[in-house]
Amino acid sequence: MSFFEQYGTFAILVVLGCLLYALIMVVSRVMRPSVPSPQKLTTYECGVPAEGTGWTQVNIRYYVFAFLFVIFDVEAIFLFPWAVIVGGLDATTPVSPMFAVVAMFLFIGTLLEGLAYAWKKGVLRWD
Amino acid sequence: MPIDFIAIMPEIVLTVTALLVLAADLALRGDAKQLVNPLATFGTLIAIGFTVFLWGDERTTFGTMFVVDAYAVVFKLVFLVALLAILGISWRFFAEGRYFQGEYYFLLLTSFIGMVLMPSARDLLLLFVALETVSIPAFVMAGLRKRDLYSSEAALKFFIIGVLSVALMLFGMSMVYGFTGTTDLVGIAEAIRAGDADVPLLLGSVMLVIVGFGFKVSAVPFHFWAPDTYAGSPMPVAAMLAVASKAAGFAGLIAIAFVAFEPLAEVWAPVLGVIAILTMTLGNLIALQQRDLIRLLAYSSVAQAGYMLVPFGLARSGSDAIAVNDAAVQAVLFYLAAYAVMNIGAFGVAIAVNRRTGLRSIADYAGLSARSPLLALALTVFLLSLGGAPPTVGLWAKFAILEAITVDVTAFGVVLGSFVVINSVIAFFYYLKVVKTLWMDEAREGLPTLQPGFNLSAVVVVLMVGTVVLGVLPGLITDFTSITSVLATG
Amino acid sequence: MGWISITIALPLVGALVLAVAPELSARGVRAVGMGATVLTLLTSVALLTQFDLSEPGLQLLERFTWIPAIGADVALAVDGVSLLLILLTTLLTPLILFASWSSVTDRLRGYVAAFLVLEAAVIGVFASVDLLLFYVFFEFTLIPMYLIIGIWGGTLRRYAAVKFFLYTLLGGLLMLVAILYLFGQAGTFDYEAVRALELTITEQRWLFVAFALAFAVKVPLFPVHTWLPDAHTEAPTGGSVFLAGVLLKMGTFGLLRYALPIFPDATVEFAPWLLAISVVGILYGAVVALMQADIKRLIAYSSVSHMGFVVLGTFALNATATSASVIQMVNHGLSTGALFLLIGFLYERRHTRQIAAFGGLAKQVPVMAGLWLVVSMSSLALPGLNGFVGEFPILLGTFQENRTAGVLAAFGAVLAAVYLLWAYQRIFHGPLEGADNQNTVDLKPREIGVLTPIVVLIVAIGLYPQPMFDLVEPSVDRVLTEVGVSELEVEPAATTSEEG
Repeated sequence: MSFFEQYGTFAILVVLGCLLYALIMVVSRVMRPSVPSPQKLTTYECGVPAEGTGWTQVNIRYYVFAFLFVIFDVEAIFLFPWAVIVGGLDATTPVSPMFAVVAMFLFIGTLLEGLAYAWKKGVLRWD
Repeated sequence: MPIDFIAIMPEIVLTVTALLVLAADLALRGDAKQLVNPLATFGTLIAIGFTVFLWGDERTTFGTMFVVDAYAVVFKLVFLVALLAILGISWRFFAEGRYFQGEYYFLLLTSFIGMVLMPSARDLLLLFVALETVSIPAFVMAGLRKRDLYSSEAALKFFIIGVLSVALMLFGMSMVYGFTGTTDLVGIAEAIRAGDADVPLLLGSVMLVIVGFGFKVSAVPFHFWAPDTYAGSPMPVAAMLAVASKAAGFAGLIAIAFVAFEPLAEVWAPVLGVIAILTMTLGNLIALQQRDLIRLLAYSSVAQAGYMLVPFGLARSGSDAIAVNDAAVQAVLFYLAAYAVMNIGAFGVAIAVNRRTGLRSIADYAGLSARSPLLALALTVFLLSLGGAPPTVGLWAKFAILEAITVDVTAFGVVLGSFVVINSVIAFFYYLKVVKTLWMDEAREGLPTLQPGFNLSAVVVVLMVGTVVLGVLPGLITDFTSITSVLATG
Repeated sequence: MGWISITIALPLVGALVLAVAPELSARGVRAVGMGATVLTLLTSVALLTQFDLSEPGLQLLERFTWIPAIGADVALAVDGVSLLLILLTTLLTPLILFASWSSVTDRLRGYVAAFLVLEAAVIGVFASVDLLLFYVFFEFTLIPMYLIIGIWGGTLRRYAAVKFFLYTLLGGLLMLVAILYLFGQAGTFDYEAVRALELTITEQRWLFVAFALAFAVKVPLFPVHTWLPDAHTEAPTGGSVFLAGVLLKMGTFGLLRYALPIFPDATVEFAPWLLAISVVGILYGAVVALMQADIKRLIAYSSVSHMGFVVLGTFALNATATSASVIQMVNHGLSTGALFLLIGFLYERRHTRQIAAFGGLAKQVPVMAGLWLVVSMSSLALPGLNGFVGEFPILLGTFQENRTAGVLAAFGAVLAAVYLLWAYQRIFHGPLEGADNQNTVDLKPREIGVLTPIVVLIVAIGLYPQPMFDLVEPSVDRVLTEVGVSELEVEPAATTSEEG
């Protein structure tokens, strides 16, 4: 298929999607009964009355903890393939087992320095 | 294949230094924290030593991802010397401001690791990693003065625009990979030449990548974040963003444009040429209106990016275009080296004046020649050099660009050259406005005396002397840049 | 190091001493300035003694490697024309410093240093035989002059300084582009190699226009002259003298040295246009000068008119006129320079330059009046003084080549007599009224000392101009031979000149 044919299909899909959306909206508008009351017009929030404005602040500590968690989670992604391969290493492979172990410890050491930094800065305390 | 550790020694040294700086920041307290600056400086010097050692060598490692050649070494030296100068102008600024010294130096070093990586990268992935390593610490650095609204604004704008540009670039890169089946820059060029790529879509992805770099080097119309970010950031960070980060963008753009997309030069060269014209003209015209020295320097640095984009507009494809492309790359390289010297110098003087008085409007520089003749002379030299007056290195930077145009004269080249000439004159108008204020206006009463301190003065004097000496003997740089026949075009 | 490089280096050394010396009294600063400039004058005279008058080409060549990557050298050499202009420069600079002895006290060190740097740059312009080096010196003269006008000038100095800078910068950049094109053709920046290039007529036209525009701004030719009256009026006395005496000559020198021989066909083609522009400039400058109320502005416009004569002579492309135009460059430097000095002295006494404020001063300041008259006479080309030996052959030569231009230019000479003598009459004659006029004191010995060498030269050149022609003619003939219009054989001159 040529360049335009590929995108022609896509364009038709987009047009059809828009038409379908418009159709559904129009049909529901025409068919549904409309009896508004103040209660019905409030913002729906899990059945609980809405409190305050949309600009509420979330405690920054949630964010920091989430962030630290992600960092070490990602570390696990790096550790896993390393662990799979490191057992098969010996003197004949391009990389020696010793090299692999040292490299991984350098990696973990770097992350630990980051953790130490966060700890020292008091990020891990919750009060 | 074993890793060639010699080739990546400068990067390793910088990484170790960065980690040591962070550790030292944790261990030291109070005034002793200042010591991280000499530590960082020491590490930079060692890295420079290793880089100089690599001069004249040709090394390749990590497959073909990482290349050390004359081009890369010259670029790395520019970055490292810029780092040294920025460390010099930062010391007092952060020591007296007492904010986040350790973090600042750590972030600065990290950002520069990305920069020295950039000119060696010959693979889309490594290029992308390098660019992110440059950018992410810079987002934080821009917002280091977190109680200052402007600093926060600077960081936020920089972050959002930076992420947007990276997203565009990544999208483009992934499409390029999809079309050519490789992330190796030379491989991409071969695939395009072989003609098995779908051209219209490929061109779209090339443009996305170029737009991404356009944000990085603050080319019009992707420049609007730059003045607000420079003006809001702590001044040494502004200097780093205006010089080093921009240079890193150019290093990446050179690699992408002249190696990977070289066969498509006929398509992207006119686009970049037009962007160059817009960038220098608009940057200069807006700079004319500025009353704040940092904003003036910011817009002038937008215009300077325009001059540096001019050689990209000259690029050609094919085997007979090597002379033109080499001249273009050398012109950019020379301009960047010169630009680093003079622009860091100008920011250095601005820091010296601002740090004690908190003043940054151009009117506050009135009579600086009477209050501090050295700083006034230095700023004059830097501004004249940015304009391109003899005998400063700025003249030869402009010269290199015009010379690249004359290698093979085309109509478009002549148009670009005329815009360079006209813009140089416009630029002088606002540079001279500052010079006039320095020397010909009376100072206000009651301003505190300026005490720039040893480090800052030394950096400013060295850069000033460098600007003039390189202006009289430009051969000191051209001897190096002229042999950087960089990029494999074959 | 040969004599030329020493001549350029001496003022720079002086400036360096001023820059690094810790504590210097005003007297010390002046001593350094005078010492450096007088030594420079002596070395330039030494240059003259080394010069071989029988050789029309460039002499005393010195060459140092500069930018190996593009083959640009520091190449210095002189021919008769450039040597004469170097002598004019080295003579005027010490006189300027001597003249500003008492008038400049604010930031004296910078003032003297700026003049020293300026002198070196101008000598470099006249002596370089590498196009790139020439361009660097040519542009560099802007910076010290900009500072001189902007820091030590009059009330509108900042406006005038920026205008001066931007006008000349634009012209210069066009020339840089043309130089780069020539480099692309010749593969070197060497003057003789570029001169030997065979360019097509289309190339010549474009490049000629670029070069001519750069120099026309500097001369300045009508209609790009508008920076000059502002710059002259607002510059301090020394700045005006240097501007009129030397800097304007860089334009006419450039035309003769670069525009004519490198683009000979284009020169012949464009010569009638340049004659026309020169004539318009001569008449326009003279008429506008007539109407000025400010004496300094009057002389500034007279410069436009007089420099028009120089360009007229150059583009008459006639051995008589073109040689005389070189002589006229020197004459204009001497007489207009002296007029600006006199205006400066008058201004120091009265702090006004309005002609209407003066009257009847001849009774009060007879020495000043006498000198003023001599210098005015020289400027309006009275036979027996130097102006005549320049202006008359220019008119004669032009008349032979283009009758209309010659006749119209002659009107300019008549108008010069009108505005100069009328100004003299209004300032020095008439009733001596008002306390200011009655209390004006005459020139001091130092001021007379400044003017004496100039007046002596004015008279000497007027009576015996031959040595100067001997110096200039071989070089001018070489240029005209290149352009292909010379009728004269290049003949070795007999006498050695000692004129400064």
